[in-house]
Order: sequence, then structure tokens, then C-alpha cells
Amino acid sequence: MPILRLVAGRILLSIVTLLIVSLIIFGVLEVLPGDVASRILGRDATPEALGQLRDRLGLNDPAPVRYLHWLGGLLSGDFGQSLVSSRPVTEILAPRIYNTVLLSAYAFLLYLPLTILPALVQAIRRDRPVDHGLSIVTLVLLSMPDFLLATILLFTFVVLVPILPAISLVDHSSSAMDYLRAMTLPALTLAIVMAVYAVRMLRDNLIEVLDSDYVRMAELKGLSASRVLLRHALPNALVPTLNVTALNLAYLVGGVVVVEKVFSYPGFGSLLVDSLQLRDLPVIEATVMIAALVYVGANLIADIAAVLLNPRLRTA
Amino acid sequence: MTGATPLLEVRDLTVAYRQGGGWACAVDQVSFSVQAGEVFGLVGESGCGKSTVSLQLLGYRHPSTKVQQGDVIFKGRSLVGMSRPELDALRGDRIAFVPQNPTTALNPGIRIGDQLVETTAAHGRAERAQGAAVITEVLKLVGLPADPAFQRRYPHQLSGGQQQRVCIAMALACDPDLLVLDEPTTGLDVTTQEQIVGLLADLRRRIGVAMLYVTHDLALLSQIADCIGVMYAGRMVEIAPTHEIFQRPRHPYTQGLIASIPLIEEQSARKSRPLRGLLRRRDLPTGCPFTPRCDYAQARCAAERQELKAIDDSRAVACWRWREIAPIPAEPPAALAVTRPAVAVPALSVDRVDVLYGAKGRGFRAVNGVSFDIEEGEVFALVGESGSGKSTLARAISGLVAPDGGAIKLRGEALAPAVGDRSRDQRRLIQYIFQNPDASLNPRARIGETIARPLVHFFGMDGRRARTMVADALHDVRLDLSYQERYPDQLSGGERQRVAIARALVAKPALLLCDEILSALDVSVQASILALLQQLKSEHGIAMLFISHDLAVVRMLADRVCVLYGGEVMEIGPREAVFAPPYHPYTYSLLHAVPVPLRRPDKPIQSRGLAEPKRGGAGCVYAGRCPWQLGEICETERPPWREAHAGTRLRCHHTLEDLNARAVSPSARNKEIAV
Amino acid sequence: MSLDHAATPSHQSALSRYRLLWSQTPQSFRIGLVILLAHLIVAVTGPFWAPYGFSQMGTGIPLSGASWGHPFGVDQLGRDVFSRVVHGSHIVILLSLSGTALGLVVGAVLGLLSGYLGGWFDNLLQRFLEALISIPFLVLALIAIASAGPELSGNPILVVLVVALVYAPRIARMARAAAMDIATRDYVTVARLRGESAWSVMRRELLPNATGVLLVEFALRAGYAPVLVGSLGFLGFGLRPPTPEWGLMISENRALIIITPITVLGPGLALASLVVGLNLFTEGLARILGRTVRLGAQ
Repeated sequence: MPILRLVAGRILLSIVTLLIVSLIIFGVLEVLPGDVASRILGRDATPEALGQLRDRLGLNDPAPVRYLHWLGGLLSGDFGQSLVSSRPVTEILAPRIYNTVLLSAYAFLLYLPLTILPALVQAIRRDRPVDHGLSIVTLVLLSMPDFLLATILLFTFVVLVPILPAISLVDHSSSAMDYLRAMTLPALTLAIVMAVYAVRMLRDNLIEVLDSDYVRMAELKGLSASRVLLRHALPNALVPTLNVTALNLAYLVGGVVVVEKVFSYPGFGSLLVDSLQLRDLPVIEATVMIAALVYVGANLIADIAAVLLNPRLRTA
Repeated sequence: MTGATPLLEVRDLTVAYRQGGGWACAVDQVSFSVQAGEVFGLVGESGCGKSTVSLQLLGYRHPSTKVQQGDVIFKGRSLVGMSRPELDALRGDRIAFVPQNPTTALNPGIRIGDQLVETTAAHGRAERAQGAAVITEVLKLVGLPADPAFQRRYPHQLSGGQQQRVCIAMALACDPDLLVLDEPTTGLDVTTQEQIVGLLADLRRRIGVAMLYVTHDLALLSQIADCIGVMYAGRMVEIAPTHEIFQRPRHPYTQGLIASIPLIEEQSARKSRPLRGLLRRRDLPTGCPFTPRCDYAQARCAAERQELKAIDDSRAVACWRWREIAPIPAEPPAALAVTRPAVAVPALSVDRVDVLYGAKGRGFRAVNGVSFDIEEGEVFALVGESGSGKSTLARAISGLVAPDGGAIKLRGEALAPAVGDRSRDQRRLIQYIFQNPDASLNPRARIGETIARPLVHFFGMDGRRARTMVADALHDVRLDLSYQERYPDQLSGGERQRVAIARALVAKPALLLCDEILSALDVSVQASILALLQQLKSEHGIAMLFISHDLAVVRMLADRVCVLYGGEVMEIGPREAVFAPPYHPYTYSLLHAVPVPLRRPDKPIQSRGLAEPKRGGAGCVYAGRCPWQLGEICETERPPWREAHAGTRLRCHHTLEDLNARAVSPSARNKEIAV
Repeated sequence: MSLDHAATPSHQSALSRYRLLWSQTPQSFRIGLVILLAHLIVAVTGPFWAPYGFSQMGTGIPLSGASWGHPFGVDQLGRDVFSRVVHGSHIVILLSLSGTALGLVVGAVLGLLSGYLGGWFDNLLQRFLEALISIPFLVLALIAIASAGPELSGNPILVVLVVALVYAPRIARMARAAAMDIATRDYVTVARLRGESAWSVMRRELLPNATGVLLVEFALRAGYAPVLVGSLGFLGFGLRPPTPEWGLMISENRALIIITPITVLGPGLALASLVVGLNLFTEGLARILGRTVRLGAQ
């Protein structure tokens, strides 16, 4: 089965990429900076304290040994202990990941209609005022940094039309409604940022497909405008958009860093920023590895989906 | 034209498309009509607006085109003013469309059965059982298998010919009154084209559907059309019954177009001169658009608009001087026989060359044990349809792909398989000219630099010496000096191909590899490049390996011909001998498939479908598709080489006498149309 | 004499040729260029005419909102936000452009070489670049800054290096694809058949034909660089206060958004308009060069 071989090949490549990512992260955070212990404790740390920390981190071993040790831990699900709170990293990560997954899912739900509807309108009304207007809107939104967009949304829905909370603090005791209210603004921000990019792409793809021979053929067969659009054009235009959606998923992992910070949402992104400020190496390493895993995984799924959706490859 | 109300009437149709900020006119006041059951051919070179007209016959609307004036009237109803639902009810049902490129016209993601059902369903023929019956029937009608397994296939699982049959089946599904065909065979191999055209002629006989057939190929049109309209630069310049167009073309453009058709038959003196120059839409005169290229043009032509006027009850022409102009006879073709120095060593010798493609298990032999010699100064043609291995062979000779077996010798010296291992002189002596002139010139280099580069590289010339050589080279390919300073995007396709030829010539090669160098060009440009090649052949005496699928072109240029099928030589010999009986069955089917003006085939020769070549089998590669297959021996045993007259060799289980008899006896295959 | 009639060369003056050229440029290109020029003029001349210094306190009543004297309001420390935005202009533009340029040079060289040479060098480099790309760019930037340590934090050179680090792999991937595409064209095949060296092919055939791709890629990345620089500042990992970097200013004044929204919207407008200008310019440039471009730097 050539298709299985293709998929297996892609999975293998993804694993290689992740291994290299782990090398890069380890190198950047633990080898490049020189003495990690003094970097963590600062310049005026006592030699005893430094020695203690080195022992705790196993810094006296040579770098390759430490890397293998760390990698072994990663593979067995042991991310080590936080330097700050001494709790296992997995225990710190778990609730944060839960929160971020919820937020991402919410953002993704908003993202789909925000992408498909404007793109359809633009493609159908191509070169008309609606199309130009929406193009300008997406261009401006595209050019707006996510932290600025988040701030403006915050200002609008908290100050001008006070219907949502400014700070999205939630914990395990929060009710479902609390969660929903807390997540709306960050999710909307993320969804808009992802959508503007995808709208432009989907519009162009749609127009390309609408100009294709087979859509013209469908029209000349006497099919109605809506059938031509929904049966012939949209499915073929969505396939390349899959790739963008994978990229968008990957963006989410980075995007949450800023957006969660703006709304003080206790997710994975704000954990990364906090632990960077505290120089909590094990937590940083674990979060970055997870971010890379999500990116690689999203691309892998998009690639495989593209193969499965393409009859040419599927039946090869 | 008969007095009955026509099925379709186009009146003063003017269509513009968006260009930059404004609108450019693509079709300018075109009028014609199609009677019920009639086949109307629309012919012209690329960019003449013929496809735009064909789309308007279905009321096609697109944001970047608009009908500025005129009307299309089908059975008394105007298509231009019709609403979308009204149009939807009409097209696919009463008027159906067959596209140019079936590969892109079928939705790649939908099974062909579903695409067919969709059509019948849209026109209210959806009742399950009945709909399925209709589809089975039309698939059979176009000669496709109608079983469910076939209907469950995706378009990419069909060959190009099958895809086009599916499109035709789709068009016929609702039993239309009019079929609009937009270059339906352009992307197909010549044998497939023959079958499709045969199918259309047959359909017409059986169901009497009217057709509008759009093509650039006038010879092809003569086989199927009743009446032909000739378009030039968006205008209709002449309309006449088919035999009238060929016997007495009135418009100078029609005359030139007919004279530009490369003829596969005897190269007798032509009635008129081939077309010169090419269409430049940016600087057209206000009057007749053909003025800049016309041999009879006068001052009045450029200023005064030429309307299409009836000159008798069946024909119309848009030229005020049509009575006065008599065709200018063409110059007699240059003497092709060149006295070649008698050299013992051939320029190129190819000895049992194999080229394998793909991975070990699934790979196939693209070229299998091919041998031939090319003498100094000889034009050697390789012919065959796509997939026959002719380009692969050229790439192996050039060193782009390393052959997996056999030897290639240049002037007696063995060549290394890869180009990197060959000496500078060997690389210089073989020059490659590619099919697509758009891709073969560096768009960021001036023409002068492009031609000078081989001089600098091979001969270490300085700038000034190189410049005089470049000037000579440009002169050789009939371009003037100002071209040195231009970039490729300022040149037309034909001019670019001339530059590519000049770049090859300055290296003073022993052998030119010409890989389908005419097939991307318009008919009139083809004719002028062909004339150039003929001149170069007599002036320079360079050996050429001329690869082409166009037998007519090969006949005009080649000294010897080699016919390839499935990577193997089927027949090889001097041109006149290959083009005369006894034919190899494959050579015969190729020759038979070439459309010849005013000759209608009775019906396509009995083909055994479009089977793939049987590569690497025990029998003949052509077995399974051969029209004259003997029997089991073809499948199980390699055919022997047979020596025919004049040194022709062909490979077939039939004896020469048998082949001779078969080529001659059923020669009722063609009959002249009574004039 | 040519059989194919050639268009006569135009005899126009240089000025009217330029005017014709300008009239043929897409509208987005023209609008983008005007916005960019406005930003550049402010960046170059701003420090000479800004009403107040960038760290000058007591210019007005803190948090007093927009007025003629203080169009973008006054911040908590009594600094004029408009003057700070004007002073910050050249910092943002300089950091963005130099970071992108560095990334372009490194990325283009690596990508073109890798694409044309192929083989193990290409394979190895691709895996490494792929790994760098799979770390979300903001995360990559943050850990790079973290690894640089406290001595370098807030250093503009670090910000430039980080921008280059984030962009180089992405530009390299683009350049590689371009090189591989161009390498299949017949004119490169002709050069190979002639036996030209890899270096000569690179210089004569690849580079001239890749400039369009690289130019658009540069403009595209430069368009997002201010956002990246701003995000770093916003999160507190970029330049240090009191530098008038726009992202940092938005972060500083964010707490005041309820009282004086203009202190956040002012720098935000400056940042967004710069990026809009760059994006419009990029889109127009791409259209002039006959390429398609996907705006957004993801």
C-alpha cells in the first residue's frame, strides 16, 4: 500500500524533527548559557547554594549524559520537578493544558464560521464593493498585533459595553458559565487572528476554483448556482485551506502566550511566560516541547488528511 | 443557407474582457447561424476569440467578461437576456458543452458516475431507475464500458481519450439539440483524436445532433464540418461550405491558413503562400485587422472597416477586394536533397540503448533496445505518441538521464552516460532545443547575453568577438539586431524558439536535438519555423534528431524516420519508404489518423481500444492494440525484423506481402469528397 | 529581417516613462508606499520636532486624555504619549528592518544553496530548519532571549538577532523552494548541458530569477517584524523602559485603558498603520512582480 508507506514516512520524519527540536531546546537552554546554576540564582549567589543547585540538577554530569537523561524522562512522561515550587512539572502542566485545550476548542468553533462565511461572500461578490470592503477589513485586522486586538476587544466589551469580565481567572471550582464568560474574549481574539489569515486564503482558493474548468463545466451542464458552489467549488477549495488550518493550530500554541497574558487566563501560554520570568527550566523545556509536538502533530494530520481527501493519492 | 429558421443564430455578438482597468474587445460583431443537424466549424489561431464565442452560445457569464452588443438566439429565445434559472434549464439539456481539456474539466473529487447522474438529475431526469438506464445508454453510445465499477472510477483513473468520452457522454445525456465543442481533441494523441472525431461523425449520423465545432485545425474540421467560419482577431472574416473554403478560399487570411497546413500527402506546389508574421492585438488598424499581414493590402484596407458580406447564397467574406485577389503561388519547396560528404563514421550512433524509469519493482522500460545511426547532415525523425519514449531517448543522448544499457557514440567516440562526465567538446557538439520556448530562455537575461553565453563558455570569446557572432546567429534565424537588447518576455513564442535555435547554432554543434520544437506554436508560426529549419538544413548541414508527433511536419523535413512505440522501434527507414506501403501496423494507424483536408475517413480503422503498451512481455509491445493482430503469436513471441525496400526495416509477425496487401486493399478507407 | 514583425521600440522621455510606470502600479502598492513614506519621514525627522522628550516627565496632567497639546494623552508618569510615539518610530523601524535583512541574507544563502545542491547537505539542513520552524516563533524568540541571560536583556542587538533567528529558517525554506523550482526550468537544463559550474548557474540563472521571490519575502517578513518586536516588548522580554518602543508603551498604559484609552490606542494606531502600509506595499509589489503572496507571517 503506497498510502501506508507515505503515512509511515511522514510519521518517521515528524519524530526526527521532534528529536532535533529537543536537541535545540536542550542546547539553547542548558548548554549555550554556560553555567546554568549561576544563571538561575543570579550573580550574588553563594558558592554553597550554587553547589547545591548543581547537585540537584545533575549539572556536574557532562552535557550529553544530561541530555539523554532528560530525553529519557520526557519519553517516560517524567518532565522533572519545578525549580520554584518543587512540584512535579506534570502536576503543574495538567490543569493549564486543560484550560488551554478548552480555550482552543472554543476559539476553533468561532474560527470556522468566521472563515467560511466572509470568504464565500467575497468569492461570490468578487470585485464588487463587498469584496473590496471585506478585503480592507481583513487587511487591517491582519496588520493588528494580537495584543492590540485583545486590548481593543477588552476595552470594547468591558468598558464600552460591559458584558464580559476583564480578567479571565478560572480554576477547578469555576462553573461552566464562568468558564464560558471567561473564555469568550480570549477565544474571540484568537479566532479573529486565525480567521483573517484563512479568509484571505480561502477567498483566493475559491476564486481559483470558481475559474477552473470543472466548475465552468458544472455550470454549463445546467447545475444551479448554489449546487455549483457547494458541491463543486467549496470542497476543492477547502483542501488547501487545511494546511492553513494546521498552521493556525500551530499559531494557537504561540498565540495563547500573548492572549492568555492579556486576559490573565491561567493556561499553558501564561505558564510559559511566568516560568520564563522565574527561569524555571524544567517547566520551560516541557512547555516548549509540547508546543513543538502540537505543531508537528497538526502538520502531520493536515498532510495525511490532504492525502485522504485527494482521490488521486488515495486510490494510487 | 436555407430559408428555414436556424436552430441558433448569433447576431453582431461583441464580447469584451477585463484588462487592467478597462475592457478589451475579444469578439467584434460576429454573426453566423447553425441549422438543425448541421455541423458548423469555427476556426482561427490562438487569441482569435473562437472559444469566447463558443462559451457565449451557452450564455456563460463571468465577472471579467461582458457581452457589449448583439445577441445569441436559440430556438427564438435570446440567451443574453436570460435569467440564471432559465439558462440552467436550457444548458446541459438543449445545448451541451464539450470542453477542450477533459482532464481539468471533470471534477477530480467526484466519481464519474455521480457527475453523470448530476447532469440528468438537474434536468429532471432523475427518477432512479430511468436515470441509471439513460446513463448506461450514453456510456455505451460513446463506446465506454457502462458497468457500475467503471462508473465508480474517479477521472484520474481514466485515460485522456476516455475522459473526453465521458465528457461527450455527459453532453449527450439529455439528448440535446446542439453540441458546442471547444477544441475537443487538442490535448490528445493523434490516434485518440481520430477515434473521437470518428465517434462524433458517427453520433451525428445516428442522432442528428447539430454541432458547433471550435478548433485551430482546419484539416480536422474538413473531416466533419458542413460549413466553416474563419475568425481573425475577434472578427469573422469568411463563412463558406467546407469544400468551398478549401477549393476557393476568398479571404487572404483563409488562403494563408490553408497554405500553412503541413501536408502529409505529396509535397506538390501549393496554391498560395503560407501566412507570414503574427497577430499583434495591440497595434491593429481601425480597418481590416489582417492588413499588417496581408499580401494584397492597400491603404484603404487599414482605414475602412470590412463587413462580412454575402457573395452568393452560401458564402460571405469580409474583404472588399475578394473579386480581385488571386492566390499568389508559393515558392517551390527548397530542394531537400543535400549532397552530404560521404563519411564512414555516422554523426551519432545509438546502439541497443535501454532506459529504465521508477523504482526496481514497479519501474518500467521507457526505452528498450533502441538502435539507429544518424549520418552527418541528416535529419532523423523520431515519431510516436506520448509515452513512446522519444523524449527519454533524446534526454539519454544529451546525458540528462543515464541509459541503463547500450552505447551512444558521437562521431565514433563513445559518450559517457552522464553529461558531467563528458568532455567540453562533446557537450558542445550536441545541442538540445526544447519544446516550450517560454521556459527555455532565462527571463532575466537579454537575448544577446543568452546567445553569447555558449560562445564565452565553449570558445572563451571576449565580448566584441562574441557580439559579431551573435549578430551572425540572429541573422541566421532571421531576427534583426535590435533583438539583442530585448528580454524574452518582449518576444513572441515563435521568436523565442528562433533565439533558442540561434543559441544552439553558435556552439557549432554536430547534432541538434529538436524535442517537439514546433508543437507549442500556432500553425502560421509553425510554418515559418519549419521553413527556417529547412533553410538551416541546406545552409549548415547539421545533423538533427527531430522528435515530433506530427507526421506531416516530419514528412516535410526528415531524411529518415524511426517510428517508436512503447519504447521500442517499430519501423525505421528513409522517409519516402516509411510513408509508403508496406506499413508497420502502428505506422499505418498513425498515418491513417492524421486528418487530411477534404478527405473523410469512412470510419476509423478497427482499433482494439487504447490498451497500454505491453512492456517487458514476451510478445510484441503493440499486441493488444494492433488493428491487424495475427493471433496468439503476437502475445507470446517477439516479432522478427523484416527488410523492406530501400533499407526500411520493420518488426512484425506479418510477412511483407501480407502487410502490403493490407495497406492497399481496404484503401476505401479514404475517399475524395465529390466536389 | 524578421518574419515576425516586432513592435517598434518606444521613444519616450524618461520622465513620462516613469509616469506611465507609476500609473500602471496597483493601487495597494501606491497607498502602501505613501503610508510607508510618512512613517519613514516621521522616523527620520521626528526627534527634531517632537514637542517633548521621550522620557520628559511633567509635560501635562497625568492621565488627562487627548487634547490639542497632547493628541495621544499623557501617561501615568506625566510623559506626552504622542512625543514618545514619534521618538519610538525610528527604533521600531530600524530594529524591524535590520532584523529582517539579517534573516534574509542568512536564509537566502542557506536556502538557495540547499535547494540547488540537494543531497545530504540539503537533507540535514532541512531537518534542522524544520525543527526551528516547529517551535512557534514567539516561543522560539522568548527562549532565545531567556538563554541570552540577564546581561543582554533589553539590548537592541539581541532583539535584532532574535528577529533574524525567527525569520531565517522560514526565508530559507522559501528560497529553497524557489531554487528547486527554477532548477527544473529548461534554461537551467541548457546551462547544465553546457557544463556550467554550480556557482555560475547560481549567479547567472538562479539568483536573478529568485530576486522577485526574495524581495516579496523580505517585504512580507518586514511587515510582521514590528509586531514581533512589539510582542516581545509587550511581554516584557524586549527593550527596557523607558525606551519608547510601541509594544512596551501599550503594555505600560494598558492598565489605564479604562481612564485614558487614547494612551493605548495612540501607539496601537502607529503600529497598526505601519504594518498596514507594509502589507499593502508587499501585496502591490508581489502583483508587480507577478507573484502571489500570502500575507500574515505564520
